[in-house]
Amino acid sequence: MNWDIIQLTFWLIAGLVSFYFSIGNARVWTSIAVGFGFILIGQLIPQAMPYLPGLEIPQVEAMGYIVGTISILVMTHGFQEYYIFSRTLELEGNKIAVYLVTLGVTACSFVFILINPEPDQRTLEIIRVVENVNWVFLSLINIDLIRKICQNIKDSPISRGFAAFILVFVFIFIWRGSELYIQVYNLSDPVVASHFPFRYQLSLLCQNVGNLLAGLSVGGTFLFLARLLR
Amino acid sequence: MLLLPKGNPVKESIDPSRINIPEAFAKLARSSFTGYLRFDTTRGTGILIFNRGRLISALLESGSGSQIAYDALAAIFECSLSGNVVLNIYRLSPELALGIHALLHGDVLYQAQEVKLLDIKALLGKLKQDKVTGCLRIYTQEHVALIFYREGTPLGFFHDGSTEIEKTAENSMSVAKLPGAKIDVLAAVEADEQDLADLLTSGDVGAIWAKAKQEILQERQVRDREASRAVEMREADRRSKVEELFKSVATKHIGKIGTSLVEKEFEKTFVGESLVTEKGLNGFYQRLCKASRLVAGPSAVKAMLDEMQRGFQGLGK
Repeated sequence: MNWDIIQLTFWLIAGLVSFYFSIGNARVWTSIAVGFGFILIGQLIPQAMPYLPGLEIPQVEAMGYIVGTISILVMTHGFQEYYIFSRTLELEGNKIAVYLVTLGVTACSFVFILINPEPDQRTLEIIRVVENVNWVFLSLINIDLIRKICQNIKDSPISRGFAAFILVFVFIFIWRGSELYIQVYNLSDPVVASHFPFRYQLSLLCQNVGNLLAGLSVGGTFLFLARLLR
Repeated sequence: MLLLPKGNPVKESIDPSRINIPEAFAKLARSSFTGYLRFDTTRGTGILIFNRGRLISALLESGSGSQIAYDALAAIFECSLSGNVVLNIYRLSPELALGIHALLHGDVLYQAQEVKLLDIKALLGKLKQDKVTGCLRIYTQEHVALIFYREGTPLGFFHDGSTEIEKTAENSMSVAKLPGAKIDVLAAVEADEQDLADLLTSGDVGAIWAKAKQEILQERQVRDREASRAVEMREADRRSKVEELFKSVATKHIGKIGTSLVEKEFEKTFVGESLVTEKGLNGFYQRLCKASRLVAGPSAVKAMLDEMQRGFQGLGK
C-alpha cells in the first residue's frame, strides 16, 4: 500500500487549514498554527521526492528535515505561550513577529546548509534522527503542557479543542517514535529487518498509520477549533 | 420658643452664616443701637439685646433649657456658622429694651392660659393685689403683645411694630381677641441700666467667634470626611457588585478562566479608583474582549459582553 499520497493529501489539507487558522485568529494561535503548517513543508519535501523533480537535491532534503524540526519547536513555543497566558493571563508580541522570526530561522538554517559541505546520506540520516528526537520528546512535553492548559481553561469554549490536541500529539508520538525506533536500530536495513521482521513491520505500520492519523487529526482539530471559535 | 413682639424691623430674614457677627456687633455698638437681634436656629431661639450700643443680654432658649451670656453667644455663633439660621433685627426704645431684658431673665408665673377660659378681671386684680412687676404676654401663632406692669400697675403696651412702650391698649388687646389666643404671666427682675454689664467689653467676643468658627470648621471637616468615606464605601460596594456580576457572567460564557480575566482586567482598568464609570468600562470591555478571544469565539464573547452591559445598567437602576 502506498501511504505517501494519502499522507501527503491529509498534510496538505492540515497545513492549509492551520495556516489559514493562524491568519484569522488571536495572536496566541499564530505559533501553534504556523508550527503545524510547517509540518506540511517538512512532509512535502521528503514524501514528494519521487514525484517532483529537484527535491532529491541533498540540500533540499536536509531543509525538509530542518523545517520539520523548526515546526515542532515553533508549535511547542506556541503551546508554552498559551500555557503562560492561561496561568498569568498576559500575552505579549504580535503575529508579524512570529512569522518573521520563523522565516528568519528557516532562512538561517538554509544558509547554514549552503555554506557547509553537501550533506551525504549519513548527514541526512543524522538530521532526520535529530528531527525525530525533537518530535518524540517535545510531543510528550506538549501532551503534558496541553493537559495543564486544559485544566486552566476548563469549561471554556476552546477547552475541548485543546483536548483534541492531546490526541494529535499521541498520533505524532506514535508516528515519529516508530520512525525513530527504525532509525536507531537501523531496521530499514534489509539484513537487520530480516532478523526482526515483526518489529520492523509493526514499526512501519505504526509510523504510517500514526502519520496518517496525525495529518487527519491536525486538520480535524483546526476545523473543530475554528467551529468552537466562531 | 421665645415669644416677643417684633418691634420696629431694621433688617429681617438675614442669613447670619454670611456675616462676621463680631464686626456687626461693633457696628451696632458704634451706632448706639438699641433693640434686639433674634436668631431662629434649629437648636432654639437666641435673643441678643442691645441698649445704647451695649450688649446687655444674650439668651438662647432651646427645648433642653436656656443658656445665657457668653455661653449663649457661643451657641448662637455656632448655630449661625452652621447655617439654617434666620436673623431678624428690631429697633426698640431703651426703656423697652430694658423691659424685655427684665422679662427674659424673669420667672414664668402662669403659662399658656387660654384667654377665652380665663377671668381676665380676676387675673388683673390678682396682679394688682400681689404687686407683680412683670408683664402679661398675650399671643397667638402669628402675633405677640406684651402689657408691662410695675407693682401691679400697668405701664404700657408693646406689640409688633412698636419701638417704645405705648399707652394705648388697642393693638395689644386685639391679639387677645384672636382665636386661640393665650396668656403668660411673667414676673420680671428689674435692673438698673448702669448695673448691666456690656458683654462686648467685659469678654472677648472675637475669641468666642474664632473658637466657634474653628469648631464649625472641624465639624465640617469631619462631616465631609464621613460623607466622602460613605461615598467611597458606596462606590466600593457598587464596584464589588459589578465585579461579582461580571465574574458570574464571564464564567457562564467562557468558563472559569473568565473569572480570572474579569478580576485582572477590572484591576487594570480601575487601579486606584473606586468609581466604576461607563467610560472606564468601555476600556474594560475592550481589554476583556481581546483576552477572551483567546479562549472563545466572537459570538460567545459578544454574548458575554452584551449580558455584562445589560447587567451593569440593571445595577445602576
